[in-house]
Amino acid sequence: MLQVNNVVKDFDGLRALDGVSLEVEQGKIVGLIGPNGSGKSTLLSSIARTIDVTSGQIRFDGQDLTHVGADEAFRLGLARGYQDPGLFFQMTVLDNVLLPAKDQRGEHPWYAPLRRFWKQQEHDNAGRAAEILRQVNLNRHFDKPASDLSGGQMKLLEIARSLMGDPKLLLLDEPTAGVAPSLAYAIFQQIEALRRETGMTFLIVEHRLEILFDFVDSVYVMHMGQVLAHGTPDEISQSKDVREVYFGD
Amino acid sequence: MNIDLIATIIALLTFFGISALMALSLNLEYGVAGVPNFGQVLFVSLGAYIAGLTYTHLLPLLAGQPFIYPCSTTLAQAVQLRTGIMQMQPGIGFVNFVITLVISAVVGGAVGYAISFITLRLKQEWFLALVLLVGGEILRIVVQGYEPIECGSGGLSGIAQPFSFVSDARLSSIGFMLLILAFVAIAYAYCERLVRSPYGRLLKAIRENDPVARSLGKRVPRVRAQVMLIGSVIAAVAGVLFAVNEGFVSTNDYVVALTLQVWVMVVLGGLGNNKGALLGAFLITVLNRVLAVAAIQLNTLGTAVEFNYFQYILLGIILIVMLLYRPKGLLPEPMQTTEAHDRLASEGD
Amino acid sequence: MTLPILVTTLVNTVQIGSMYALMALGITLTMTVLKLPNFAHAEYITFGAYTALLVSMFLSTNPMIILVLAFVVSALVALVSHLVVFRPLEKRNPSTYALLLASFAVGLILRYILFIFADHFNLFDKRPAIPLQIWFRSSVVILSNIFFWVVPTSIVVVILLSLLLNLTALGREMRALANNVNLAKVIGIRVERVKILTWLLVGGLAGVAGALWGIYSNVHPLTGWLAILSVFAAAILGGMSSFVGTILGAYVVAFSENTIMQALNQVLGLDFSFKPAIPFIIIVLVLMLRPQGLTGFFSRSRQLTR
Repeated sequence: MLQVNNVVKDFDGLRALDGVSLEVEQGKIVGLIGPNGSGKSTLLSSIARTIDVTSGQIRFDGQDLTHVGADEAFRLGLARGYQDPGLFFQMTVLDNVLLPAKDQRGEHPWYAPLRRFWKQQEHDNAGRAAEILRQVNLNRHFDKPASDLSGGQMKLLEIARSLMGDPKLLLLDEPTAGVAPSLAYAIFQQIEALRRETGMTFLIVEHRLEILFDFVDSVYVMHMGQVLAHGTPDEISQSKDVREVYFGD
Repeated sequence: MNIDLIATIIALLTFFGISALMALSLNLEYGVAGVPNFGQVLFVSLGAYIAGLTYTHLLPLLAGQPFIYPCSTTLAQAVQLRTGIMQMQPGIGFVNFVITLVISAVVGGAVGYAISFITLRLKQEWFLALVLLVGGEILRIVVQGYEPIECGSGGLSGIAQPFSFVSDARLSSIGFMLLILAFVAIAYAYCERLVRSPYGRLLKAIRENDPVARSLGKRVPRVRAQVMLIGSVIAAVAGVLFAVNEGFVSTNDYVVALTLQVWVMVVLGGLGNNKGALLGAFLITVLNRVLAVAAIQLNTLGTAVEFNYFQYILLGIILIVMLLYRPKGLLPEPMQTTEAHDRLASEGD
Repeated sequence: MTLPILVTTLVNTVQIGSMYALMALGITLTMTVLKLPNFAHAEYITFGAYTALLVSMFLSTNPMIILVLAFVVSALVALVSHLVVFRPLEKRNPSTYALLLASFAVGLILRYILFIFADHFNLFDKRPAIPLQIWFRSSVVILSNIFFWVVPTSIVVVILLSLLLNLTALGREMRALANNVNLAKVIGIRVERVKILTWLLVGGLAGVAGALWGIYSNVHPLTGWLAILSVFAAAILGGMSSFVGTILGAYVVAFSENTIMQALNQVLGLDFSFKPAIPFIIIVLVLMLRPQGLTGFFSRSRQLTR
């Protein structure tokens, strides 16, 4: 599904990614861990095409993504979440979810004023959005501004919003950051349920390893811009190298 | 006191209509989509200058008259030629007026679209504001310096409105006023429907966070360019109407202060709210009229007061008060976009 | 171009460039330390120019006294605009455009207050009453006392400013503020105090520049407004963060407006009415093609913020 081959990213002479390669198979939940500054978020942004890589290749679903824009990547089925939820806080919860729906007929300046061109599609999209919001328990809040939600609800809304674009692969950057422990577990249960029901693939950066390891199929460990180790959660938690750099013992 | 009430109301509504078009244009660009058009006057003046060009070149051509160089020694003759055609051959006057509007809309829209793409490289968010501001000034200086366009700083007179053939001055001004208000109605209906559509949702998303909108599959540069195109078309049409209403095209009218007036209207009325843009345009037009009348009254009493000065000071104060105490404007922007919300509300969950 | 004309335009370049440098340094300081593209800067300049005019009419024609008073008046005007408008606005966490708009509004109010004042006392296009003397005469150029006031004063002020920024505690604090406001707060810099002093300094610089402008040509309520986009062009050309870059930018803009304009006029017959377009074209070209300005061409020179 996703192959990253030998990706290098330099920022003003600083090497943030130093030859990273990884692979994510369809339908898997893959964790991406590592100490702060190890390059996890940079890698995620590179895959989502919000930043350009210096060299290397990114392939997704059989296509070369290395030089496409972030908007094209999303249209190809690659969605991302942000560490600080990248919501539209001045818009309603429902508008947030409706926005990424694909091929909206009313999203064109000439057709938009003619309601009958898009009314039915908007109606159907609203139905789907309601369904998705119900899944993440946000349906009661549909007409509130997104800024009124709690931290955990914002994370869920971000995931819900991505779903509206029918992604094949969802990149999540610390989906439980700033979320109460009880709700953090619930967020991962949602992710697990989504994978089960839709066959979606996940690549997740997460600091809460105790939760992450309960859900992922495999884990990549990054350190100083490189992939230090790769394996199942059990292998990773027993690996000596990983314990050294990551758990500090 | 000797104020012709009806004439005052006609003039007021005419000015309101022209201001409202400019305010709707800026509201769509900045209020809804977040594109900081500090060069509103660039697009307004484009329309006005094109009106000047068609009245001097196209109008005689349509009427089968020889072209007369509009400036210097033949200036008076050229003015006489234009006003003559407008009064004696109203049909040709109308055709010329419509062609002027079409050319202005096409040129204005094309310039807005092009600038939007050219300025994609700009690094800081306020650079676009500065480039547009400066663009308006460059156009003014070039037109002022190159005589054949609008006779330099002297300007062009005799840019008569299409109803000027009507011998009753009041009827003719009412006709033009209604025409302008019709344009306002069309622009308002269009903008309002746009805002309440999935496209409006897209614009608001881009305004609030364009990188995220992009990573949700939206072609942000293209959408911004579309908005600039629509806004510029409206502004250029407003420019034609402005010039034709004045009966005169002078570069001195198209300065940064005009852009600022439009900003005051939009900030006062409510950013992102089309009704607010109309309200702002109305209030500022009334304010200007009241100040003008007051100044005339005071002048007849023997006090020489330049009302312009007070007008600008008042505009500045309004702007600061609004930014400080009511940044959302008198009519804040509605939160919901499409009727999708009604559907969910009616399902009762 | 004949030699006398060339030399005259170069003399103008040096004079105007020196004044632009003072004005543009104020803009650069405002932009880096106070994070505000301030268009009301134009009016601080005009207030300085009118102070010069009034002082020369009623108090003294000694340029030193004129410059000091112009500094004081414009510094106070700048401070008032900070206290009344910009500080309360910043508390609302506004967008850059709201700040930009507010600075236009402040400029508008100040400018038309000056208009009312000038209208009432008939003070349009007056020159401060400093007697003109010829101090240097040759076959190619005549230099007056004005030249010898404008240029050395600008240079001295620039040197004082650079000493202030680089050697004093206030300068260090200003640079800390320019780099990172939050960090500046954490290391115990009294941010509000530094901001107030910066506003005074910025306004004062504009006042001195305006007074020199008045001494050089004449005074009108639009004096600052007509210069401000040239000044922005200079600051932008300097990369909006560099001290040396800003000064260089000022001379480049002045050179383009005077010497290059003269050359274009003589070679291509370009009318002088196109002259105001030159700084605008510079702004557009620099922002589009090289937003970092001239910096990078002399990267090892001292930067205001780095």
